[in-house]
Amino acid sequence: MKNIVLGRYIPLDSVIHKMDPRAKIIAMITLLVAIFIDTGYIGYGIIAAFILCAVFLAKLKLDFVWKALKPMLFMLCFLLVINVLVLKTGYVLVDIFGFKIYSDAIFQTLYIVIRLVLMIIITTLLTASTKPMDLTIAIEDLLSPFKVIGVPAHDIAMMISIALRFIPTLLEESQRIMKAQESRGVDLQEGSFKEKVMAILSLIVPLFVSSFQRADDLANAMEARGYNPGGKRVRYKQLKFVLRDYIMLLCVFGLVAGLIATKVTGIL
Amino acid sequence: MPIEFKQVSHEYSPNTPFAYKALNEIDLELAEGKITAIVGATGSGKTTIVQHLNALLLPTQGEIVVVDKTIKSTEKPKNLKALRKQVGLVFQFPEYQLFEETILKDVAFGPKNFGVSEEDAQEKAKEALKMVGLDETFYERSPLDLSGGQKRRVAIAGILAMDPQVLVLDEPTAGLDPQGAKQMMGLFEMLNKKHGKTILVVTHDMEHVLDYCDEVVVVERGKIAMHVSKEEFFEDASLMVKANINPPAIIRMRTMLQEKGFAIPNTVLSLEALVKALKKGVA
Ligand SMILES: Nc1ncnc2c1ncn2[C@@H]1O[C@H](COP(=O)(O)OP(=O)(O)OP(=O)(O)O)[C@@H](O)[C@H]1O
Ligand SMILES: [Mg+2]
Repeated sequence: MKNIVLGRYIPLDSVIHKMDPRAKIIAMITLLVAIFIDTGYIGYGIIAAFILCAVFLAKLKLDFVWKALKPMLFMLCFLLVINVLVLKTGYVLVDIFGFKIYSDAIFQTLYIVIRLVLMIIITTLLTASTKPMDLTIAIEDLLSPFKVIGVPAHDIAMMISIALRFIPTLLEESQRIMKAQESRGVDLQEGSFKEKVMAILSLIVPLFVSSFQRADDLANAMEARGYNPGGKRVRYKQLKFVLRDYIMLLCVFGLVAGLIATKVTGIL
Repeated sequence: MPIEFKQVSHEYSPNTPFAYKALNEIDLELAEGKITAIVGATGSGKTTIVQHLNALLLPTQGEIVVVDKTIKSTEKPKNLKALRKQVGLVFQFPEYQLFEETILKDVAFGPKNFGVSEEDAQEKAKEALKMVGLDETFYERSPLDLSGGQKRRVAIAGILAMDPQVLVLDEPTAGLDPQGAKQMMGLFEMLNKKHGKTILVVTHDMEHVLDYCDEVVVVERGKIAMHVSKEEFFEDASLMVKANINPPAIIRMRTMLQEKGFAIPNTVLSLEALVKALKKGVA
């Protein structure tokens, strides 16, 4: 649990870290759209190369990216099993005592996995290179045009920032409760089914109780300091697009536009 | 059944950008049947040390001998349950670990996990609750709507009910009223004197150290800065200055009087002794 990397900010000094969070979010969404468009292996190869460059520029270690992907392994196996059982098209790859594995099962799985991996790397890149607070400011900014149609941009940003703020706290808390219950003889690995249920209960109940307590305390503290969700507010930190943000966006748009163009014209 | 740390280091989140070495090659031997205080500034590593005692944390270097078990950095320990039955650890702010519907059930949870039968566990729970000063009117109440101090007592009872031979307490009196804190320390003293339990208590309260403990371990930035008997610690005021610790009232008084020229020996550690020494000086 200590090694959870998904969504974790890694403080480093890199170009990617310095970029405007709004630019990064726009780039991420654009790339995600590109991944959803079926661009074929070559297209995905190009996107992958692009993303790896970004990972390199962000000075993130490949080891870190690998850790972010590891939780996926389970899903990958699951997908593979389902596909092998269900998909019966394409040519037969292997034939084990009459149980046939078809080529499409493997390729389909591979295709889904490639997309998932790319998406996870992109989102990890965003969260690893952007402070949670900057992220929420950016979300608020990007949502603010929708205020006219009644989207509560500030409230949403506030909720996200509070949620993000409490993820590490909750992780720490669950670890502490786990340790405390282990001291009382709870064994999460072994034991009968009933014991396991009890063990999980002994974690979840205190976690819920303390989360509600925390939420209550936070709400009170905010109110005591005069927080008013409808209030007009200014910001200390001002976001500003600079040259590198435009260059990055240009690259991303260019790449995606190129991919779409080749797809539409059928070159790839 | 001594407890021994041999060249133990502990690093949090090793091999990540967040790596932090909280313990640095410490050597420590804790005598059996004594009350030992662990003191030190906040963040010095006290909690990290005590969580090694029942293998909640494993050393990243070195080894620890607890009871009849050796915990090494090089191999994953087995049969931790037996160890945890023998070494009861009460957490800093343990009130967060309560979860059962009733207090009695919550206290009985520990012993039940160690294979004690339902009835025996209830018996032990009742005994433990009595020890911490909660009577039968509390048995059927929910542990979640007690006051902070009462929750603390329930949590401590939850460990006492397991009847461990070594009792480790991480700041058990933080946030309790002075009266309640004294009662708690008195309880630990009783468990030590009457039942021969080895007790290890992390505390910031020097009055408690002076009144109840036998030995003092001073932790400083992940190292053991000092390990001396209580008498040695409080007789030599310079040790406390060195450890950056504010001495208890009676020791401050003694030092002040000594500075004013009164002939009071350093062995004076209590009010009675101080009065006696003063009388002798006057006579
Ligand atoms: N889970 C963790 N991950 C990383 N660092 C940690 C973790 N827990 C503690 N530390 C660090 O290790 C050091 C020692 O912490 P520890 O909790 O042992 O201090 P302590 O002496 O018990 O302090 P206190 O008196 O405040 O309880 C601290 O500097 C702390 O920041
Ligand atoms: Mg501590």
